[in-house]
Amino acid sequence: MNEIPLPGSSSRSLSLAEAAIWSVLLLVTVLSAVTRPGLFVDQVLGGLVYGLILVLIALGLSIVLGLLGIVNFAHGALFMLGAYFSYQFMAVWGVSFWIALIAAPLVVGLVGVVIERGVLRYLYDEDPLNGLLATFGLSLMIGEATRAIWGGAPKSVAAPQILSKGMDLGITTVARIRLFTVLVAVIVIAAVYLLIERTDFGLSVRAGVLDREMAEFLGVNMNVRFISMFVLGATIAGLGGVLRGTAVGMDVAMDEQFIILAFVVVVVGGIGSLFGSVVAGLLIGGTAYLTPLYLSTLASITNIEAINVPGIGGLVPYLVMIVVLLVRPRGLFGQEGFLE
Amino acid sequence: MPETDTGERPGTEADVTDAALGATGLTKRFGGIVAVDDVNIAVPTGELRAVIGPNGAGKTTLFNTLTHALAPTGGEGYLHGEEITHVPQEQRPHRGLARSFQSNELFNELTVLENVRIVVQTSETGTFSFGLLGDGRSQHVDRASEILESVGLSRKRETTAKNLSHGDQRRLGIAMALATDPSVLLLDEPTSGLGSKETGQITDLIRTVQEDLGLTLMLIEHDMGIVLSISDRITVLNRGRVLATGTPAEVQANQEVQDAYLGGMKEEI
Amino acid sequence: MSDRTSTINSNEVGVFTALQSVVGRYRVPIGALLLVFSVRPVVSMDLLLGYGAVANSILIWMLFAASFNILLGYTGLLSFGHAMFLGIGAYVTAIGLARFDSPFVLSALVALLVAGVVAYLIARLIAQKGEIYFAMLTLAFGTTAHFVANYDPGGLTGGTTGIAGGAVPAWIETERGLKYVSLGGFQFDWYFFVAAAVFVGLLCIWQLVRSPFGRTLVAIRENRDLARAMGINTYRYKVWAFTLSGVVAAYAGAILEVNEQGATLSLLTVQTSGDVILMTVLGGANYFFGPLAGAFVWLFAEDFLTDFETLVLPLEQFPLIRVDLSGVLSYWQFFLGLLFVVAVVVAPREGIWGLFRSVVKKAVDRIKSERDNA
Repeated sequence: MNEIPLPGSSSRSLSLAEAAIWSVLLLVTVLSAVTRPGLFVDQVLGGLVYGLILVLIALGLSIVLGLLGIVNFAHGALFMLGAYFSYQFMAVWGVSFWIALIAAPLVVGLVGVVIERGVLRYLYDEDPLNGLLATFGLSLMIGEATRAIWGGAPKSVAAPQILSKGMDLGITTVARIRLFTVLVAVIVIAAVYLLIERTDFGLSVRAGVLDREMAEFLGVNMNVRFISMFVLGATIAGLGGVLRGTAVGMDVAMDEQFIILAFVVVVVGGIGSLFGSVVAGLLIGGTAYLTPLYLSTLASITNIEAINVPGIGGLVPYLVMIVVLLVRPRGLFGQEGFLE
Repeated sequence: MPETDTGERPGTEADVTDAALGATGLTKRFGGIVAVDDVNIAVPTGELRAVIGPNGAGKTTLFNTLTHALAPTGGEGYLHGEEITHVPQEQRPHRGLARSFQSNELFNELTVLENVRIVVQTSETGTFSFGLLGDGRSQHVDRASEILESVGLSRKRETTAKNLSHGDQRRLGIAMALATDPSVLLLDEPTSGLGSKETGQITDLIRTVQEDLGLTLMLIEHDMGIVLSISDRITVLNRGRVLATGTPAEVQANQEVQDAYLGGMKEEI
Repeated sequence: MSDRTSTINSNEVGVFTALQSVVGRYRVPIGALLLVFSVRPVVSMDLLLGYGAVANSILIWMLFAASFNILLGYTGLLSFGHAMFLGIGAYVTAIGLARFDSPFVLSALVALLVAGVVAYLIARLIAQKGEIYFAMLTLAFGTTAHFVANYDPGGLTGGTTGIAGGAVPAWIETERGLKYVSLGGFQFDWYFFVAAAVFVGLLCIWQLVRSPFGRTLVAIRENRDLARAMGINTYRYKVWAFTLSGVVAAYAGAILEVNEQGATLSLLTVQTSGDVILMTVLGGANYFFGPLAGAFVWLFAEDFLTDFETLVLPLEQFPLIRVDLSGVLSYWQFFLGLLFVVAVVVAPREGIWGLFRSVVKKAVDRIKSERDNA
């Protein structure tokens, strides 16, 4: 296998083609920002919010995959449950947003305990395909249960007054709930990073990811860590669900839509790398929102309407993944030999 | 049978291009760890060469590098005088280089016969073949049965591989390696985990197949009794390097080997 | 036991064994033949659905699931994008019929060719990836196919509505909602055409998996590293397994196109890929008939349970107990999902068919032992 230089560590000079691509990209960015500044800011912020929601889901997915070796397909269902639980709390029981923001994710965490103890623990030493299949079945069950309890029609909840207003940025107005989402997501991501990188608990978890048998031999109770990390991942996904549900509403298709994108984020970032997940989440959120804008700018400059492909934003994450995996088979920050 | 007095001194090797299996400067690094370090080896045709060394000496990694299960970081490999450094793993059995595994690597859910039959089929049809006609399970059965007969597994041919006893699984591993019709065979601890009776049987089996088929054999083994009784020459590895090569008597008398082994013992105690 | 009876017995046993060996060797084709022609009579029974319309799609889905099992069951590859090939089969056939007025057979052949080429190219790119990456990449390519059909390039695929008008071959006649095939003066029920076509497809898959090629796939599934060490080029085998599986799926898609009188975008969704995984695993990936059983149970449940409003026990004539189940059973996927999860945890490769086999085997063993004791 050829050694592939890490981004940034590469000392080679840019090839002509790469330079051309980057300058075109830069040019289109500037043009888009100048000709339609309001839309540009909207799309950048939209991509940021979307990307951070993906990161919140991908974090748990990445932790569970790294620690337990299980691809948790049901993680998107947990995200969806977060949204529907917040609906239950706020719209049905009339509890305030702030309580729902804390309580709904915790209940999702409880569901996580049930899933871990009820199903996943039987699959830890099995073929990774079995974990993927079992959680795929779980996501189907949770999806059907959601449909049975809350119905198939889309639902929405009202954000509290302080967050429901828009914020005037001069060129455009931004909903405060989106800024709030960014704030919460950044805090959570930083907290997870500190937990894993800076605490003894995180150290033992990382040791478990590298070599579970050795960690157990050294007296680390991996079982407790497995459950708590799984619950942590579920809770964060639930929190993402509350934020997403409050900002744009919820429906029973959101689990599938988001789990697939979160997988894409994990794979692009490199399986086993939390940092990679964060970078990939932002990359995919950004490209999904900016590509349509860039294409429409290009189309209006060149007068070739065919460039402006409708609905391309939805396809961009997959194209990014295909390209990244073909160029860097382990993703942006993946480790050698991990689940290959 | 190679002569012991070919003029070689202990620790030196014959020319790799004359040998059945050879390597020069073979190196395998994992990050900062050098598991196989500048190994020169040349096993003449028909020799039974044992590879010994303390745990972690790089014996299995040497096998993996020789068979290209792991691409070497440096050095060259030779088979019957031909350079094969970059020949992919799956092509090597077709050139006569086969191996068995330390752990029982089998097609677990398939029968004993089918395990061997598939290898015979592969050996006859190449690394890839569009054999879409006929019933696969009825082809190459005679040859597979013959091989099973030679390793004493005939009566268990319909048993599922995973249900075999440990000793029979080792036999099956050897049978599958033989089914590639090798000229050079690498056996990774063929007697590990066996009782003394089964160990004796496997040792006899190795001796028999080597004599009957005129194989060149390389064998990783921990049991010094077996090593001394069946090997023509011994290569001692330590920390990825070749410490000594020679006849059993020469190696026993080698001061460096004694230091490494006894020194290692002291560390372990 | 007297000598006389034992002689008769041994004669009987001789004939029986000869018959058994023929049936044993060809039990899959014989079983498949019986199966394809019995699906409609079975589901039409009053006790079950009472109508046979769904039998056509059950059969086509059985073939689709069996084509998927070449990958999952026989090669050990999990694809989340198999719908792509069903969709290519249906879409290319429909495009040929509706947009180019080409005959069905030609359109279908082009569909198989396109599916084969697409599958081959994708497999060349991704077949050497680890299983998680492989699953995700197939998902990505599947989504791309959905996007392309939805994008309606050159007005070929019809966007969200798909291809509906003029996509039926000339030899299909429809009378009062029922389809008939009319070829060279003969007219017969569309069901028999589907049954025959599906039988041919199943026969191809059966030959594929029993061939030397198929046995090598099984070896790769069992132990990829060992297979390589023993001289098997696992990459090329996987590439061709993926390609052939895609071609058979497209064949199912071409039949489905006629059955549905067009191609719909829903064929290309992730859900379609997911359904075929669920069917295959639920049915039992270890067995040839596993995915067929899974497809049958899945589609039968869809129709049976959603229409099932009241459970009347013990008999309709004597309604002692009436339980209203309409609210619960319309969420039948929940219960099949539960069954699926249990199946994966307990015996991931066995499924319903494995369970059925072991029950039958136990019963046979018991009868045998009782006979021996007597």
